[in-house]
Amino acid sequence: MSNHKSQILISNLKSMIRSFVILVVVLSFGICVFKFTKSADALDMQSPRFRIDSGNVNTAAGDKSSASYKLSDTIGQLAAGQFSSTGYVVKAGFQYIHSIIPFQFSISNINIPLGVLTPNTPSTATTNLTVSFGGAGQYQVTAIEENQLKTLSGNAIPDTSCDGGLQTCSTSTAAVWSSTSAYGFGYNMIGNDIPADFTNSTYFRPFPNLSLSASPAVVMSSINVGKNRQSTMTFKANVSPIQPAGSYQTIINFVATPSF
Amino acid sequence: MSNHKSQIQILNLKSKLKSFAILFMVLSFGFCVLTSTVNAQQLSLSITPPLLQLVIKPGKSIMVAYNIENFGDPVILTSKLVNFEPKDDLGNIKLKDDLNGPIRFSLDNADLQLGRPFFLKTGASQQLLLRIRVPDGSPEGDYYYTLLAESTPPNGLEGVGSARAKASIGSNILITVTNSGIIEVKPKVVLFKTLGNVYDSFDKIPMVFVIGNQGKNMIQPEGQITLKGDLGEELNYDIVPKNILAQSERMIEATPSADTTFSGKPVSLVLSGFFIGVYHLSTSVTFGENSPTVFASTSFFVFPFKLLAGIVIVIVVTIVMVKKFSKNDDED
Repeated sequence: MSNHKSQILISNLKSMIRSFVILVVVLSFGICVFKFTKSADALDMQSPRFRIDSGNVNTAAGDKSSASYKLSDTIGQLAAGQFSSTGYVVKAGFQYIHSIIPFQFSISNINIPLGVLTPNTPSTATTNLTVSFGGAGQYQVTAIEENQLKTLSGNAIPDTSCDGGLQTCSTSTAAVWSSTSAYGFGYNMIGNDIPADFTNSTYFRPFPNLSLSASPAVVMSSINVGKNRQSTMTFKANVSPIQPAGSYQTIINFVATPSF
Repeated sequence: MSNHKSQIQILNLKSKLKSFAILFMVLSFGFCVLTSTVNAQQLSLSITPPLLQLVIKPGKSIMVAYNIENFGDPVILTSKLVNFEPKDDLGNIKLKDDLNGPIRFSLDNADLQLGRPFFLKTGASQQLLLRIRVPDGSPEGDYYYTLLAESTPPNGLEGVGSARAKASIGSNILITVTNSGIIEVKPKVVLFKTLGNVYDSFDKIPMVFVIGNQGKNMIQPEGQITLKGDLGEELNYDIVPKNILAQSERMIEATPSADTTFSGKPVSLVLSGFFIGVYHLSTSVTFGENSPTVFASTSFFVFPFKLLAGIVIVIVVTIVMVKKFSKNDDED
């Protein structure tokens, strides 16, 4: 009888172990699937990309023999060269840079959280800007804010003027912003092809304000051919103790263009 | 005996059960605490072709296929065209807010329109079939545009301060409208000089070459910059044929593989090597068949001042030491 009871107990324990094993396997599988699904958001897309776009050949197809235009573009090596047609010329192919890298622009994070803004405690957040421009040769990236950091009710955090005095910054000149009693919103740049006035990580500028009809600021530019040029933009906000509470938000417009 | 065996088996099973429970707890802890949530929303776009140049008669139209590819997270894009103008003589541009000029743009895609948003999932590409039409009677001249693919900003984060990014990627379109096919070429050398007149033989020698375009059509320089020394040496540097837009100036670069910056500032050419004597830089630039040729020249002097100063110092020190030792010998 005792033996039989032990057998039942063993059987129950085996069943429980089986259940645990299944549970662990299912949970592990779930964790893996869940994790991989989420990590897709943070995939590093900054690695060099290389792509031959056969569609480019079609770009000028059908129109090349027209007697009414000359076309010269940077769209593919297959059609490179110079063609004559009834007094007009069609040019295709890269004019001076032998490259098939498209013009590419990346922002590592387009939702930049500054967190809960605490008076006299600067909040910062970063995002990386990357440009590949082998085919374009020369490029610029500009930035402008649509308006100040502000709440829906209209309370605004002013654009920074940095530490003030000799360290007063503007939309075109960076200056030191390290004082915790200097309030505002601004940005710093570190990395490739950035404006020279961003001497180090303490130098900031305010964004130009689109609502005030300001012109965008050039935050990256280069006249030299290269690829995967990367910079880090640090956003900084510091509020005073009398700043009303609320969700302060703005939109930054980045425009990346090759040269001509 | 059998009862004892069963007891041992029960103990083993209990031990296994404990191990599984610990494993389960560790995994759960690891999942809940040690892993971080990743919310970065990445935007990564490419556009081809990055530049289009077109010479076209009024009354004609062409279709050009652009390809936009999304390497980042899913994105909603809107395509639009704006005018641009040169911002400086370095090839930077200034986009305008609106679209002016006689050129008419539309998309030949059945399901897309300019100014209407479209969705692009991760890894997907979208071909934009851009129709460029020049109406009859359009004035001759150059018209410069940028095709932009503009993203929609993400939703804001509630309860915290945040900045959201909206990104646009552009491709420039240079259009010359002409009835006859004749392009107006009116170039002018604005600047052709080295940044100094006297250099040390071991220094790098930067020079700047700026061409102005006084015509109503863009031009493209072709030619070389030639360096000649009084001792007969000669070096040639090919000019990079970059476009100079109508009524603008552009700094011309030579030898695209070279670094064309000097002390962080852009220059046309940086000469390096050991030079000595008087050197003459000259250039002869054309702008296509039957175009005028522009010439320019400048001179500079190079001498090994540092080497000479070093030799003088060594000689002086040697003489002083020799005299000192001679004096000591005399005293002895």
